[in-house]
Amino acid sequence: MTPDIPDEYLQTFVIECRELLEQMEQALLIVEQHPEDPEIINAIFRAAHTIKGTAGLFGIDYIVGFTHVAESVLDCVRSGEILINSALAALLIEVHDHLGVLVNHVDEGTLPTDEVERSRQRLIAQLKTYLDEPIVQNRSVDMPAIISKSKLDKVQGDMVQTDYWHISLRFGLEVFRNGMDPFSFVRYLSTIGQVIQLVTIIDTIPSADKMDPESCYLGFEISFDSDADKITIENIFNFVRDDCLIHILPPHSKVSEYKHLILDLPEQEMRLGEILVKCGSLTPTELERILRIQAGHDEEDSPRPAIGEVLLEQRMVAPPLIEAALERQKQIKDTKKADANLIRVDADKLDALINLVGELIIAGAGINLIAKREKTADLIQSTATLSRLVEEVRNSALALRMVQIGATFNRFQRVVRDVSKELGKEVELVISGAETELDKTVVEKIGDPLTHLVRNSMDHGIESADVRFARGKPAKGTLQLSAYHDAGSIVIEVSDDGGGLNKAKILSKAVERGLVAEGENLTDKEIYNLIFQAGFSTADNVSNLSGRGVGMDVVRRNIQALRGTVDLDSVEGQGSTVRIRLPLTLAIIDGFMVGVGNATYVIPLDIVVECIELKAWASDEGDGKYINLRGEVLPYRRLRDHFGIKSEMVQRENMVVVRYGEHKAGLVVDKLMGEFQTVIKPPGKLFQGEKSIGGFTILGSGEVALILDVPGLMGLIEQEKT
Amino acid sequence: MAKTILFVDDSASVRQVMKTALAREGYEVILAEDGKDALSKLNGTKIHLIISDVNMPNMDGITFVKEAKKLPAYKFTPIVMLTTESNAAKMAEGKAAGVKAWIVKPFQPPQLMAAVAQLVMA
Amino acid sequence: MANEQQNNHLVIEGELTIYTVTELKDKFLGGLLTNDELELNLSEVSEIDGAGLQLLVMAKQSAIALNKTLLITGHSPVVAELLDLSGLSVFFGDPLLMVHQSKLKGELL
Repeated sequence: MTPDIPDEYLQTFVIECRELLEQMEQALLIVEQHPEDPEIINAIFRAAHTIKGTAGLFGIDYIVGFTHVAESVLDCVRSGEILINSALAALLIEVHDHLGVLVNHVDEGTLPTDEVERSRQRLIAQLKTYLDEPIVQNRSVDMPAIISKSKLDKVQGDMVQTDYWHISLRFGLEVFRNGMDPFSFVRYLSTIGQVIQLVTIIDTIPSADKMDPESCYLGFEISFDSDADKITIENIFNFVRDDCLIHILPPHSKVSEYKHLILDLPEQEMRLGEILVKCGSLTPTELERILRIQAGHDEEDSPRPAIGEVLLEQRMVAPPLIEAALERQKQIKDTKKADANLIRVDADKLDALINLVGELIIAGAGINLIAKREKTADLIQSTATLSRLVEEVRNSALALRMVQIGATFNRFQRVVRDVSKELGKEVELVISGAETELDKTVVEKIGDPLTHLVRNSMDHGIESADVRFARGKPAKGTLQLSAYHDAGSIVIEVSDDGGGLNKAKILSKAVERGLVAEGENLTDKEIYNLIFQAGFSTADNVSNLSGRGVGMDVVRRNIQALRGTVDLDSVEGQGSTVRIRLPLTLAIIDGFMVGVGNATYVIPLDIVVECIELKAWASDEGDGKYINLRGEVLPYRRLRDHFGIKSEMVQRENMVVVRYGEHKAGLVVDKLMGEFQTVIKPPGKLFQGEKSIGGFTILGSGEVALILDVPGLMGLIEQEKT
Repeated sequence: MAKTILFVDDSASVRQVMKTALAREGYEVILAEDGKDALSKLNGTKIHLIISDVNMPNMDGITFVKEAKKLPAYKFTPIVMLTTESNAAKMAEGKAAGVKAWIVKPFQPPQLMAAVAQLVMA
Repeated sequence: MANEQQNNHLVIEGELTIYTVTELKDKFLGGLLTNDELELNLSEVSEIDGAGLQLLVMAKQSAIALNKTLLITGHSPVVAELLDLSGLSVFFGDPLLMVHQSKLKGELL
């Protein structure tokens, strides 16, 4: 660990890593379905290399080393050299999990245990099977300067006397424009040694008329005393080595190397020689010898050495390769743009906002009432505008809380994968309606029930491969998660193509448990839904997965707590579908206000189908329990009777027809008061056990209106049917 | 005179660490969390060096460099790009945009300090 | 930037860097063309880089070519430091900083 990094920085690092790992997991879980989707692959890659980069900064080597190998593999995936298959995806998930463990170690300030270390080694070995080349730990040192010991120097074996390095630099024209200052490098040299002598070469500065002041014409000859090695010195000039002539001669270099230097440099030999002597790098005698050789016969040098000893060559990549890569880069950028506009907000702040919007709606309703009472046209108009704006604010505020269910669904890729492995069944997860939005609170709470349902389907629903084969089904089972909006609710379905429920088995068990009386006449649906009764399990053998004592009744209770319902359809031999129906939001609803006597009730508008006038004669049909609505038998109920309101009957009653799921019913009220936006306040303890009340709201006038819990009410009506 | 460095990275922890490290070496540090933010910091303040990440939300490093190079007051300001891959394509794009110096992540503060000193040592 | 107090006396203020060299080149050459002797006062230079130094070299070379005199005076600390580092102070032949003057005089005179 780098000692000078404070703890709180590490904390930020840990949080960041966890976020990245979450993104990585989500991408990993869907990558198999989209093995060539560059967005997903890049998301995985990016998470890995950002973790590596940041860990490197913190000097957490065990993360860097490990992530580097994974990143290398991912890089190959990105470039298309390796295709993602299920084996690799599974391995990468393990890599992800392992990174999670490593990050935990950082968080706790502990070093990885031996066990972690072993799994790390195993994963690295597995990853390396995807790589042809040995892995270079750090690519920044993977670009060594070309240091070739000249083979041409057999004859001039004698060395120069100087104990110092000689550095010769000729900067490219663009150096200034690139933001570099040659003197910065010189100053930096002083940090790793001592500049003994420096000569600034100004020979190539053109005459005023030809000189571009922004171009660099400078060069240096430097005699330098340092214990640093050659690579270290060379690295100082990394930033300019692309367009500069750089020669670095170690102390006691061979005379012939100086000769090559002089040959390579643009200045005249004599002038250069003088400079070298001035630098102290060459003695006058040495220079004389070099020049003599030069002037004479350089037989041993017939192929002129390829630009000296240490000219650092710029390595170019073939243009088509760059174009292809740029194209890919562009795609990645486009993806980035899509999620670039996201900001993270504390959920509590959102809740506070929505509460305020709720109060605003109530206050607005109050003003509306006053305006109508005062009959001032201007005021009515203004309040109308205000109402419209408030409604928009409400919608925007609510939309802030809405999240797509896709992320939740995608988590099940992991569940399905793990459970498949555990059970030895092959199961494919199909997701639809991932973009369906619902309230964040609901999303958070739906995870557990869904997990249970998914596991249950895989455990009890989908048959083992040989059974499936015998039944003429594909060996790979299919589990489907889908979501859609329906009548103000969101419906989430978990369906499988497994064996379906065994009615006889359920029935006999139900009888055995005393849930139903023997010989009782039940519809198929009623039988199936018995499994949601407390303490019900039909699996022949209790497996590790389901049957942990948590039954389907818990699922139902969880969903009911969200004001939702759950039911099940099944076809024996073909599969089952569990359908969860949930309200879109828990905070505000569009209500339809009705009056009974002096009381006001609110019915969620989404479920209102129609309003009809209830003719006096209609009440006679079906013992006052059913009405014939255009040929349809509709159960109905008087709210007056239901809530025991004692007031005078009105002349003409109205009926509100509501629909919830497959059920329809009529609610008879005294008067229809129109649409009304309602903030739901939870019902107090007083109303506990009252199934037909979902909450209450305060009207603009200050009065309290009860919000009907229609599913609850309908449950009561259904019960009374029999 | 202290040299001023604009450091751009979307990772809060990287920013924290680098600010501390650079400030300890006596540099004035201006931080920005993405390209867009960084561009808003190029408001006439003399900046001697820009160090920027490549992969960032809102505006990536390359786009930021292209924009920065359009500003007369910053067109010669040296730019060091931090990148987690030594990706030839990205480097080519960056080069075209005016980036001449690359530092490959993971790096440790001393490595970056050396690079900074090579470029703007006073 | 350059502040012309007299035509033959240019005071350079602020940066003598890549950002200002293009403009300053014209000023320097203009000053050299209209005067036999031009004095560049660098006491107000807050920042100088290689490009700035290179421009000074060019000005000096131009002066020599035109057979005129270019004097560089009042080196600010950053200018003095760079001249020292580059080893070019001898090339310019101007007396450097006051503190170094006695020592340098011995060398130069």
